[in-house]
Amino acid sequence: MLNKILFKNQDKKQLVIAMIGAFLGITFLVTSIHYLIKVNDFGKGADILGPNTIIVQKKVTNSSSLNLTKTDFSPQEINKIKAESFIQDVKPVISNNFDVSFQTDDPLVPYFRSDVFIQTVDQNFLDVQSVKWKWEKGDEFVPMILPRDFLVMLNTFMSASGIPQVSDDLAMDIKFKFRLRDPNNSDKEEHVNARIIGFTNEVSSILVPEAFMDYGNQVYAPTTESKITQIMISGKESEFGLVEDLLTKRGLESKNSQMVVGRLKSVVGTLFLVVLGISVIAVFVSGLVLIQYLQLLLSRNSYEVRTLLRMGYPPKQLIRSFSMYFIKIFGLVAVIGLGIFFVFKLFLDQMFEAGGLYIGTNIAWLAIGALVLAYALFALSSYLNARKGIFNEY
Amino acid sequence: MNITFHKVMPTPLASIQHGEKSIWGSQTELNPGERILLNASSGKGKSTFTFTSIGLRKDYEGQITYDGKDVKSYTPDDWTDIRQTKISVVFQDLQLFPNLSVKDNLMLKNGLQNVFTEEQLKEMLATLGIADKWEQHCGLLSMGQQQRVAIIRALCQPFEWLILDEPFSHLDKANAEIALKMINDRCDSLNAGFVLTSLGEDYGYNYSRELNL
Repeated sequence: MLNKILFKNQDKKQLVIAMIGAFLGITFLVTSIHYLIKVNDFGKGADILGPNTIIVQKKVTNSSSLNLTKTDFSPQEINKIKAESFIQDVKPVISNNFDVSFQTDDPLVPYFRSDVFIQTVDQNFLDVQSVKWKWEKGDEFVPMILPRDFLVMLNTFMSASGIPQVSDDLAMDIKFKFRLRDPNNSDKEEHVNARIIGFTNEVSSILVPEAFMDYGNQVYAPTTESKITQIMISGKESEFGLVEDLLTKRGLESKNSQMVVGRLKSVVGTLFLVVLGISVIAVFVSGLVLIQYLQLLLSRNSYEVRTLLRMGYPPKQLIRSFSMYFIKIFGLVAVIGLGIFFVFKLFLDQMFEAGGLYIGTNIAWLAIGALVLAYALFALSSYLNARKGIFNEY
Repeated sequence: MNITFHKVMPTPLASIQHGEKSIWGSQTELNPGERILLNASSGKGKSTFTFTSIGLRKDYEGQITYDGKDVKSYTPDDWTDIRQTKISVVFQDLQLFPNLSVKDNLMLKNGLQNVFTEEQLKEMLATLGIADKWEQHCGLLSMGQQQRVAIIRALCQPFEWLILDEPFSHLDKANAEIALKMINDRCDSLNAGFVLTSLGEDYGYNYSRELNL
């Protein structure tokens, strides 16, 4: 009966326009947040390096080949890069100054030995557990992260020796050994056991913990000056384009695959950020229009509200009638918007997959959380406005 | 419930000269169960009396109390309770819903406390000679018919006081007397009192007291 009095006489044109606006806003809000999260997550866990992280070095030119320009980084250069607003962190990549060779040390695997190049990077750049990534003299083995290309090479060797190839997991069980040697004194050498704890596509050398590198450099190359020829740069989310500009400006280069993923994430991320911004504005504006419509409805029904209050109807009941009417409308819009998002998602996931971007297909709950938050804010706003309107007639 | 006016002077009436017997500016008590005729000429504040009595206007000096408690201290929830169970009103402008049927207008009020059945309401309409208007929109009724609907609506709740603001202004004497008898019977059954404001007509009723403005 109350609804018959309070909601019968209304011009629903404005309501329908606001509902369409809210529906579009909600659909794009959920969609953009979902894909923003998914695109940012793209590549996470796929490699041992953290997200938005690249290893860069100076471009080798003719003049640097003739020793006219330096290819190493000074502390000042590192600090300048670090000071850029879009850079999260910069750390040097430390290399070995001593001779290192790498060999198999497992009865199940044929003997294999190669001189190698080892490097160490700050642990903050690596997606490995800190308990695994440490070494002290006397430890059973040195943990190492192997370039995946190295495993391919090892498998090629195995295959040529008539031995079955090994998977990532099996490779982690094989016992290896490092031989450390002073380049100026071939009698001074040491063997240290080593184990693979992960693989990387992004680094071309074997990565070892910093403590092991320090030990090797101090004991087997104490007089050689350490030069930083590579640095690791971690850029902020969605600002990778700026990192690229910096590299060009400073004559730096990186592995192309790292750049492509970073660039792709940056572009798609920025695109979804723009859509997100527009969606937030759309939801906000349509919410405002709906609230304005509620106020208009209250104003049009001021006689009815006043009379009901005078008859003894509780203000709370009238507030509930008005706020629930709009909460239901927004709820309906939210449910339809969510439904359309799922339809969008089916198409967009296929499109991303067709474009080679294998992003996760499970729902980003933060997107649903944003919808719930928008709904809660609207519900609160409806209630407060209805309350104000009813008590204005009291 | 005792209603007391402690030297109440509504702001819009402050500039008017009021007589010695006027409620305005004096101490007046409305005792439980009294049947009061409030006589006054136009512009003396009959509707203002109605509105101040039930807390709809607060622009006055002095104090109005229910059983000693200042009505200005009541919360919206208190007023809801008072308007549902303690005081019922027939407003001068009736305050019906013109787009609703007579039935809906009555059920809207009756539904708050479920006092009467539909059959009883129809009987009341029949008593007042408008039984055939049950399904008709109130906006299509004459003023006299609307007054009768408003009177029945005011009776559709328990009350201790019934305030009627010129309820018979569009009724002939015979119909006014029938309506007044219905009001009297309902007040008797509830041990309630009423205040009937009038421009001088007493409708042949034997009131407990007559007050002036």
